[in-house]
Amino acid sequence: MTATLTGPAEAFDHEALFYRDEEDFLAGLLPFVREGLEFDEAVVVVEPRARLDLLRDALGDDASAVDLRDMAEVGRNPGRIIGVWDRLLGEHTAAGRRLRGVGEPAFAGRRESEYFECRLHELLLNHAFDGGAPWRLLCPYDETRLPRAVVRAALHNHPTAGTSAGRRPSPDYAPGEVAELFAAPLPAPGEAVLRGTYGPADVPATRRTVAQYARRIGLPEDKVEVLELAASELATNSVQHGGGSGTVAMWTTPSAAIVEFHDAGRLTEPLTGRLMPALDQEGGRGIFLVNQLCDLVQLRSSDEGTTIRITTWL
Amino acid sequence: MTQVPAASTSDHICWVYDEDDASFDRTVRRFLAGGLERDERLLVVGERVIASLGSAGDGIGDAAALIAAGALRTLTMAEAYEEAGEVVSGTQRTFYDAATRTALADGYSGLRVVTEVSPLAEDAGTRATLVEWEHLADEYAAEGSGFTAMCAYPSRLSAQALADVATVHPLVHADAVPPFQVFFDDDRLALTGSVDTFSAERLARVLASSPVGDDGAVLDLGQVEFVDIAASRVIARWAQDLEARSLPLEVRGASPLLQRMWQVLGLTQVAPVAFTRAGA
Repeated sequence: MTATLTGPAEAFDHEALFYRDEEDFLAGLLPFVREGLEFDEAVVVVEPRARLDLLRDALGDDASAVDLRDMAEVGRNPGRIIGVWDRLLGEHTAAGRRLRGVGEPAFAGRRESEYFECRLHELLLNHAFDGGAPWRLLCPYDETRLPRAVVRAALHNHPTAGTSAGRRPSPDYAPGEVAELFAAPLPAPGEAVLRGTYGPADVPATRRTVAQYARRIGLPEDKVEVLELAASELATNSVQHGGGSGTVAMWTTPSAAIVEFHDAGRLTEPLTGRLMPALDQEGGRGIFLVNQLCDLVQLRSSDEGTTIRITTWL
Repeated sequence: MTQVPAASTSDHICWVYDEDDASFDRTVRRFLAGGLERDERLLVVGERVIASLGSAGDGIGDAAALIAAGALRTLTMAEAYEEAGEVVSGTQRTFYDAATRTALADGYSGLRVVTEVSPLAEDAGTRATLVEWEHLADEYAAEGSGFTAMCAYPSRLSAQALADVATVHPLVHADAVPPFQVFFDDDRLALTGSVDTFSAERLARVLASSPVGDDGAVLDLGQVEFVDIAASRVIARWAQDLEARSLPLEVRGASPLLQRMWQVLGLTQVAPVAFTRAGA
């Protein structure tokens, strides 16, 4: 074990920090944050609100120098988080400051499907930032309250792991898992599913059908409109890039409304839809927009085709 | 097809008709009779509509007597484009503006026009110019100039041709209404219906040809049913084009979702648009 204090990053440094309780959380985090401030780095902490309050109190006057953001908002859909870090990294690097981040996407109390997306998100961070501008990202994991599988997975998707006592390379780090996870089928729905197919002329009908379904199950109008827009963009993608047609499936669980699109297309880049498209880029905005607007978006692609599952929490 | 509704002053109607002569003639004459009731001068353009006048009675009385009295004028397509110039929207507007002013000066309450110029809509090359002119004519009607028009197109035209011409009319009477319409409502340009990736290019063409005054443009989205990313980008590009000409764009009545989409996609950074509330 080496000490927690680490110095400025020389590459992308992605570390899991396992903590047992609030005291341990602060013992691991405070030296990391304070060191960033000493080096005049841009320190951004994205944590659930209760952890932010804890950290703010502990930092005292230093809190004003730290960019504190609510993970429940930023990472409501984990598919949005990489885009946020990417923008921060670009802005601060351009301004000549090094970025130092803290992010706890897999916070206690999340749902199983969210933890699963957090796992893919953590793996994709390495894929997105390895070899790019140097910065440090520390990801706290609550080993007391989180499911064991979530804690174990963090050892697979972080090259470095540690506790408040120190850090070391993670022997279980497995960056190759990203391809496996991205190609794996999503769990089959356990409920009754409404299913339809669409072709090139059916995009308006598809979005209206999805909107009708969303209204019928009682979603508020703003969520209905978001799903209608998502349906139009994703069905358009199928028509233009996914073999010209696709299927839409809709079902409801006790906690969520789910709309899923599938077509025969194959996406080879697992970061698709996570990074802000360049302003002059022609296409590639549909999935990015859906990621920004929806509660949970799960994208999978393999030889079997591409599936995008959109979850709206009830 | 149900009955074409009676036109009020300053209306601009697109009527897509089926090949049923008796019904066609009746509709043309009823539209013209509505003009006579309002003391409007009548102008009939195109062989197909001129033929409707020759039939018996039904509202407008003796066409020859009306022509002799100066209340009715007919122009074949060839005559119209000899007199008004090629279908270049500006010269067309000058012609109709002069004809409307003359009608007002002669004591009429306005000019009521019915046209059937479908050969221009059939050809993709002339259609683009025709649509530009129809859009300009719409602005002219909306100005309250006293100009009212019904533009008849046969349903046998391609779906693409019909959608192109119908899109730039505020009132469309057809079995298949176009996915969206762009028309002038006072000094605003109103967009209604749905624009998506598959119709965004048509919106781009209409906006590019849209007349914009020195004060800039107001695009009213208050009655829009749906716009997707491609449609939003078309509006953003129009805003950029206007900015390059130092003309501001106000977008009125955009939904919260559309405004959020603009922000998320970074369009706010490239397209200088003032979003205002409906009825502002």
